[in-house]
Amino acid sequence: MERLTRRTLLRNAAVFGASTMLADGFLDAARADKPIKFVGWVFKPDTVKDYVNYYNQKFGGQVQYEPIPWAQYHPTIETRTFGGEVFDVMYSAHNYRERWYENGLLRVLDDLPGIDELKKKMTPQNLESLKNKDGKLAALPYFTSLFILIYNEPMLRQAGIKEPAKTWDELVEHCMKLKRDKVSDTPYLPNWNVSPSGTMPQFMTDCFSEGASVFDASNRVIVDQEAGAARAMERWQKVWKAELVNPEVLTKTSSTDTHRLFWTGRYAYHTNHSYYLKTIAGEPENSKLAPKKAKMTMYPGTGHTYMWTDSYTINAKTKNLEDAWKLIRFLGGNLTGDWYVQRQWCLISGLDNPYPEMYNHPEIIASYDRWVDLKLLRKQYEKGKVIAAYKEPWYGEYDVKAVPIVHNIIRGTSTVSQGLKELVRLQRSLV
Amino acid sequence: MAPSGVSRGRLTALIVAPRLAFRGVRLSEARFASLLILPAFLGIVVVVVFPLVYSLWMSFADVNLLRATGPAIEVLGVRIPLFRFIGVQNYVRIFSDPLYWDSFWRTAYFAAAFVAETTLVGLAMALVLHERFAGRPLMRSLLLIPWALSRVVVGLLWQGILDVEFGAFNGFLYNVGAIDSYVSFFKNGFSALNVLVSVYMWNQGPFATLLFLAGMQSIPLELYMAAEADGAGYWQRFRYITLPALRGILFLVLVVSTVNGFLMLDLIYVLTMGGPGNDTTTISWLGFQTAFQFFKFGPGTAVLYTLTVLCLILTVVYHKLVFRKLETEA
Repeated sequence: MERLTRRTLLRNAAVFGASTMLADGFLDAARADKPIKFVGWVFKPDTVKDYVNYYNQKFGGQVQYEPIPWAQYHPTIETRTFGGEVFDVMYSAHNYRERWYENGLLRVLDDLPGIDELKKKMTPQNLESLKNKDGKLAALPYFTSLFILIYNEPMLRQAGIKEPAKTWDELVEHCMKLKRDKVSDTPYLPNWNVSPSGTMPQFMTDCFSEGASVFDASNRVIVDQEAGAARAMERWQKVWKAELVNPEVLTKTSSTDTHRLFWTGRYAYHTNHSYYLKTIAGEPENSKLAPKKAKMTMYPGTGHTYMWTDSYTINAKTKNLEDAWKLIRFLGGNLTGDWYVQRQWCLISGLDNPYPEMYNHPEIIASYDRWVDLKLLRKQYEKGKVIAAYKEPWYGEYDVKAVPIVHNIIRGTSTVSQGLKELVRLQRSLV
Repeated sequence: MAPSGVSRGRLTALIVAPRLAFRGVRLSEARFASLLILPAFLGIVVVVVFPLVYSLWMSFADVNLLRATGPAIEVLGVRIPLFRFIGVQNYVRIFSDPLYWDSFWRTAYFAAAFVAETTLVGLAMALVLHERFAGRPLMRSLLLIPWALSRVVVGLLWQGILDVEFGAFNGFLYNVGAIDSYVSFFKNGFSALNVLVSVYMWNQGPFATLLFLAGMQSIPLELYMAAEADGAGYWQRFRYITLPALRGILFLVLVVSTVNGFLMLDLIYVLTMGGPGNDTTTISWLGFQTAFQFFKFGPGTAVLYTLTVLCLILTVVYHKLVFRKLETEA
């Protein structure tokens, strides 16, 4: 064995150093892309990290992913942008996108190669909701969702109810019976939580299901002129007064917290975002209604429910447009040819996407079969209704300030007519 | 005391002179002292004075963080936009909003209830922990746990305890026969507001206890012994010795709990988000919403500055009330 001298140590160190530098140089040469900053709100960050790693390995990318807590995601992006930071690719909730676009934070995607192909593959409503007010496309889809009606099959059976409700009257009748028979204290669990994903989307959903419009073609609130909106609110007052609803749903701070109540099996009917059925009916470790004891049925009334699309966007100030476009196609398009990221979200979380051809994939069909009737869900999507009002600058404030007004209608502290007029007044005051 | 033969001024010169002469620069004592406090002063300017002044300016400006194209100042290479000055428009706007006044009175109720609860409970706990009993050191340590918890954790903890479905408190009341069915503590706005007060008091009360306890430990025992010798009972000793001696601490507790009561935000965020309806919307929540949900930083800072002014006024009022008697006696 060679004796370790000062000279051999120095020589070996020099050789090691040189080889490291060379290797690094080779690696650099292998990396085609420049660094890309990618930010998103926290939802399964490990899943995101996994596919970012997959992307970096497969495409020689240098994507740096940073998750930011959901509650402060949009203000954080704005304040850090104010501080001069540039995030190349960003998540954006639908109701913030227009503001970002109008203030020069986002760039349009219409001029980028391959966009027309993707547009053709998307359902028209979703494509429309990804466009800005000026009709230009500023985003690719992260996921789309809509409100569905979920029911607790064992509870209905226990009460001798053979079929889930097909109309609102039937639903109220079922709930009255379940309460009367002491099967459930509060059989109905609407998503009336206080967050922007709760009360107001639920309000729009129930208005749509009653055949009412919430906004006119100029995006002005018109619920005071819609008989369907009044019917929906009268029903909400009725179920509240009859104590068919858990009163604490009004102070739940998220749709996630609300849907977890349904895990207990103590409720008969629940309305919430479609993907929550995956945890309710597909996660026996969490939910008493899994596997598949909770089911979906078509939404009562007209069947129309509120649908929205959240998205990935590109920063207008990105210096790596080519690489940012490549990444966003991987995330919200089909760069790999197998819908890699879109498929992951379907499989892992039941987050849907606006590309119908994905739902012919055997892996997706098998996965959905474990928690939902996929054909019925797709049928419900055909009834999904999008709005354009969220593209207005006043929408965010209206959406938050409208919640207490609707809560007051529900609790009977204002009449239906007064409350609906107040919603209209609120919107007009913000324009 | 100066050594004999050396005047006070000469002694100072002996201590300071080597530094004053550093690198040939001669500084007076006052200037040298200023030089020493300069780093701390700069730190305070950067992290306290500048944000205060800048946010005050924002309350008089039309602010859009994403469109900061107006005039700007540059500090250490960082561009700081000044936005467009619009005078008192933001203040006029918030004062003409009924929601602001509803929130104002709700905040006043919240702060008053919180100050009263915190002061009374804090004082009562301090009186208990001042007595000698087995396990006192352990109790004093345990006391600090609620105060040491993050408020988000406190909120989540109490959300679980008070839940209408599976809450431990409901379970306890039900099992001892106090209720027939589980109670919803958040159904009614007033009840939800009082729950917030109590949960916040649970979190902050121990700090008041700590302050009162420290004050009690500094009262000379001889006073109590003399009072006992004069035949004073427990309440008389408390009324005529403990309470007057705690006047300074009481002032501190009142000021700290008032400011905390006015500014409380995180528990609302976790427990109610201002609901049901607007029944738990306080000024701090309204300011937060306006600034960070509606991105209206001008009106948002204006809302929050009204709180600052209110806190300052109340501090002066407390000072007058608590120390009035002391000044009269002096």
